[in-house]
Amino acid sequence: MTSGRPNLFTTEAVVLRHSDLGEADRLLWLLTPQRGVIRATARGARKPGSKLGGHIDLLCYVKLSIREGRELHGISQADTIDAFRNVRTDLGRLSRGLNIGELAQRISVEDAPAPEVFRLLVNSLGWLATTENADTLVRWFALRLMTITGFKPELGACVDCGNELEPDDHVFSAERGGLLCPSCRSQGSDALHPASLGTIKVLRHLARSDFPAVESLNIGAEERRQIERILRSHTNSVIGRGVLSSAFLDEVRDWPEVGPVPGGIRAD
Amino acid sequence: MNSNSTPSAAPPVARLIEAFSRLPGVGPKSAQRLTYFMIRMPREEAEALAEALISVKDRIVLCSKCLNITEDPVCAVCSNERRDRTRICVVEEPLDVLALERTRAYEGLYHVLHGSISPVNGIGAEQLKIRELLDRLRDETVTELILATNPNLEGEATSMYLQRLISPLGIKVTRLARGLSSGADLEYADEMTLANALEGRAEVAVDKETSTE
Repeated sequence: MTSGRPNLFTTEAVVLRHSDLGEADRLLWLLTPQRGVIRATARGARKPGSKLGGHIDLLCYVKLSIREGRELHGISQADTIDAFRNVRTDLGRLSRGLNIGELAQRISVEDAPAPEVFRLLVNSLGWLATTENADTLVRWFALRLMTITGFKPELGACVDCGNELEPDDHVFSAERGGLLCPSCRSQGSDALHPASLGTIKVLRHLARSDFPAVESLNIGAEERRQIERILRSHTNSVIGRGVLSSAFLDEVRDWPEVGPVPGGIRAD
Repeated sequence: MNSNSTPSAAPPVARLIEAFSRLPGVGPKSAQRLTYFMIRMPREEAEALAEALISVKDRIVLCSKCLNITEDPVCAVCSNERRDRTRICVVEEPLDVLALERTRAYEGLYHVLHGSISPVNGIGAEQLKIRELLDRLRDETVTELILATNPNLEGEATSMYLQRLISPLGIKVTRLARGLSSGADLEYADEMTLANALEGRAEVAVDKETSTE
C-alpha cells in the first residue's frame, strides 16, 4: 500500500460522491479496500485538460496515488481501471449504479478497512454493465452488503422467539430485523411488511447465492414488490434514513434505454 | 489558535467572518483573511462593495424565457431579434452561458437548468427548470435542442433524461462533442475521454491545392 515516500500511499478506489471545492478543485468520497471511505481533494480537477478530471468521475474504479493529510488527503495521480462505460451511458443502469454506490458509502465507516464491501461493489458494477436483470442485481447487492456488514435480516427463524418458521406466509419487521412467526407478529407496534412463502424463498436464495446463480431468476410481480419493500425498509432502518438515490431509480426504472450502449444489453 | 473560533474578535468582526465562511470554497481561515482585508479597506470601497451586493439582490431576476440571470424581465439574448430562435442550448448554470457566449460561435438561444440531476445528493429532475423548458418547446418554433451539460456523470444523466423527454416531441436533440482538450497530452487522457474522442473522430479534409504528391 505505501510507496517510497512516507506520506504518500497508493490505493484502488471507487468514487462514490463529489462536491466542488474552491475555484476548480473537487472533494471526493472514495471507497477503498484498506481504509474504507476516505475524503480526498483533487486540485484543478474541474478544469478542462486536467490530468485528474476524467479519471475521478462518479462510479469510476481507479488506482490513485494519495498524499496523506491531517483532515483531507490530496490526490496526486489517478489512473482508470474501469469506468463501467455501459453503466454510465444508460440511464437505467446508471440509476442502479448510483443506488448501490450510495448504499456502500452510507454503510461504510471512514478510515475503517472494508475489503469485502469494496470487492462487492466493484464486482457488482461490472455485472451491472452487462446484466439484463439490473433490478435483481440491486436487490442481491443490498442483501449481500447487509450480510457482509453484519446487518443480515433474519430469514430462517422468528426474529423475536427464535423458533424455526413454518413454510408459510409471514411478515417482516425492519425494526426488529427479520421475519416474525404468527404468535410474535401481534406484539409490538412496528410496521410489518407482508412476506409470502414465495418472497421468503427468493430472499433466502438471494442471500446464500452469488449473483451469477440468481441473475436469471424469474421473480413474480407481487414477490418483486414485497422484496422491494422489505429490503428498502431494512436498509433504511440500518442506515438511519432513506437512500436518496432511490427516488431517481424509481422514476426511470421502467424507461427504455436512451443512451448509446456499445456492445451493451438493454436494462430491464 | 483554533481555526473554527475567533474568541478575541469583536462581535461585528465575528459576524463578518461568519458571513464569509458561508460562501462556497471559503474556509474559516480564508474568511478571517477576507474580514481583516475589509477592515483595512477605505470606507468608500467597502460602501461600493456593500452597494453592489444589495443591488444584485434588489435588481437581478431570472429571465422569463431562458431563466438566465438578468436585470430585465427578458434577458439581452432572448430579446435580441437577430438570434436564431430555432435552436436552444441547454446549460446547467448561468456561468455556462457566459462561457459559450465568449466563443462567439453560437447564435441561438439558451435555457438554464440551474443545476444537474444528482441522485446521490437527492436532486431530481423536479428541482431543475425542466418543466419550463418543456413549456418553451411547446410554445416556440424550436427545431434543435443542444445539450451542453457538463461532461461528467451528473451532466450525462441530465442529458440522457432530457433526451428521453424531448425526443418524442420530434425535435432534433444534439450533444456537445466530447473528447481531447486542446494542448493536452494523449497519454494522460482517461479511457472515457479517449473512447469519446474515437467515437467522435472526423475525417481530415485534404486541401487539394496544397497537398503534395
